[in-house]
Amino acid sequence: MRRIGRWLLAVLIGGWLPVLLITWWWNASADSTDPFFPPLHAIWEQFQYNWIWQFWGIHVMPTLQNLIVGFLIAVVIAIPLGVVVGSSRTTATYVEPVVDFIRSIPPVALVPIFILLLGLDSSMRIASITFAASFPILLNTIEGVRATNVVLLDTAMVFRLTRNQILWRVRLPNAMPTVFAGLQVGFQIAFIVAIASEILGSGFGLGAFTLIATDSFMILDAWTGVMLLGILGYVLNLVFDVVERISLRWYFGQRKLV
Amino acid sequence: MTTAAISIRDVRMDYPTPDGVKHVLGGISYDVTEGHYVSIVGPSGVGKTTLLRLLTGLAQPTAGEIIVAGKRLSGAPEGLAVVLQDYTRSLMPWLTVERNIALPLRNEKISKANVRQRVKESLTEVGLEGSERAYPWQLSGGMQQRVSIARALAVRPRILVMDEPFASVDAQTRFDLEDLVLKVRADFGITTLMVTHDIDEATYLSDDVVVLYGKPATVSDIVSIDLAFPRSQVETRNDHRFAQMRTRIYEKVRGLS
Ligand SMILES: Nc1ncnc2c1ncn2[C@@H]1O[C@H](COP(=O)(O)OP(=O)(O)OP(=O)(O)O)[C@@H](O)[C@H]1O
Ligand SMILES: [Mg+2]
Repeated sequence: MRRIGRWLLAVLIGGWLPVLLITWWWNASADSTDPFFPPLHAIWEQFQYNWIWQFWGIHVMPTLQNLIVGFLIAVVIAIPLGVVVGSSRTTATYVEPVVDFIRSIPPVALVPIFILLLGLDSSMRIASITFAASFPILLNTIEGVRATNVVLLDTAMVFRLTRNQILWRVRLPNAMPTVFAGLQVGFQIAFIVAIASEILGSGFGLGAFTLIATDSFMILDAWTGVMLLGILGYVLNLVFDVVERISLRWYFGQRKLV
Repeated sequence: MTTAAISIRDVRMDYPTPDGVKHVLGGISYDVTEGHYVSIVGPSGVGKTTLLRLLTGLAQPTAGEIIVAGKRLSGAPEGLAVVLQDYTRSLMPWLTVERNIALPLRNEKISKANVRQRVKESLTEVGLEGSERAYPWQLSGGMQQRVSIARALAVRPRILVMDEPFASVDAQTRFDLEDLVLKVRADFGITTLMVTHDIDEATYLSDDVVVLYGKPATVSDIVSIDLAFPRSQVETRNDHRFAQMRTRIYEKVRGLS
């Protein structure tokens, strides 16, 4: 009961501003005749029509699919690589400058290069997403694995844990909070790149839909696209938070006490 | 005749530094008698932790050798357990108390039920029965240090090595933990080596107090504490011989005599 109460309170505290803004928007735009700022209730009607009845399959599914596949490939590549690099100081000194350099290029700027290399189909989009999402995951994994405190490692060594055990039972769990932060940033970047890769050449997907709608003055549709992007981004981030809170309970519990 | 559990033979340790080699240990020799409790004291920076790192196999001496159970030490020896000062960093925060204690038992060929049994026994020994499911960070500093001790006991070590095990807890908890260590000693007779800054504590707990002094450090004194066991915080510490030994150690640590 108390937990539900606290949760409700959190919703109230976090929710009043969005509710206020939406109400204001709804009322202020109700009689709007400006073609660029249609009434919110019209957008909402179009939104339901577009995303519940019509375009979910052709525009949302491809985006989500690319996003998830691209992101998962990034995870599968970047985490093991990060563990290898992070466990050895010499490898890290060679690899890190290169990684730092490539990472400094805005990921969206690389999409045209991937178009040149791979054309316009979804393999290009997945590659762009994977590439962009890899760096934050890689860097955070390196950092997390390397930052294992010496006392913990010494203890493990004296108790004669094997190298493998030290990796799996000490270094990796220790790195998890940092890795998770990397996953989250990586996912946000993946989302941006997923949309950007559609804007830069595609007939399908949410990015393409929104761009085409804007270009053809279908302002209502464009608004519904932007709205769905916002909601998707928000929900996906929320899912991340929940998974993180559950799998890293020890970390958040410990932090709350310090 | 008593035998040496650990034999330290003319051990030297140098560290390379930007401005040349630093001689930290300059020929340390000492035999730790089986079942004895030995404290190592000395001024800050003299090389106490360095010596413990050599004894636990975490570092190799520049010269000399350390013999444990008849074998020259290379790497962490079997049957040795540690308790380090920094309990907040020596227990794994992602593991419950039970799993922390069970972790070093992974490589021993004992059944799950036996592991559980050992964890339980060790926790009972340190007075923390029933704390299996707690996380270390949910416990007070003194309780965490008890968990560290329980983890060490669970491997049934022949040698226990502790680096300033009670330095980060309050005075009352410190007395409790000292008495816990005496109880463990009475129960199991594990050969124990402890580094401490606290001369009273060293005197109270030990059979032998080894004083390191100098740059490079050598053994400047070995004081046998022939006070009777069982010892008690009030009586033992009020014994006039306790005061004499403490004074002697104090002067050695300060380089006064
Ligand atoms: N890895 C290292 N490299 C270079 N010098 C070191 C290293 N470890 C320790 N030293 C030096 O060796 C000396 C002894 O250090 P040590 O930590 O063993 O002292 P200690 O007696 O444990 O001190 P304290 O009582 O403060 O814990 C110090 O001067 C220290 O600076
Ligand atoms: Mg020290």
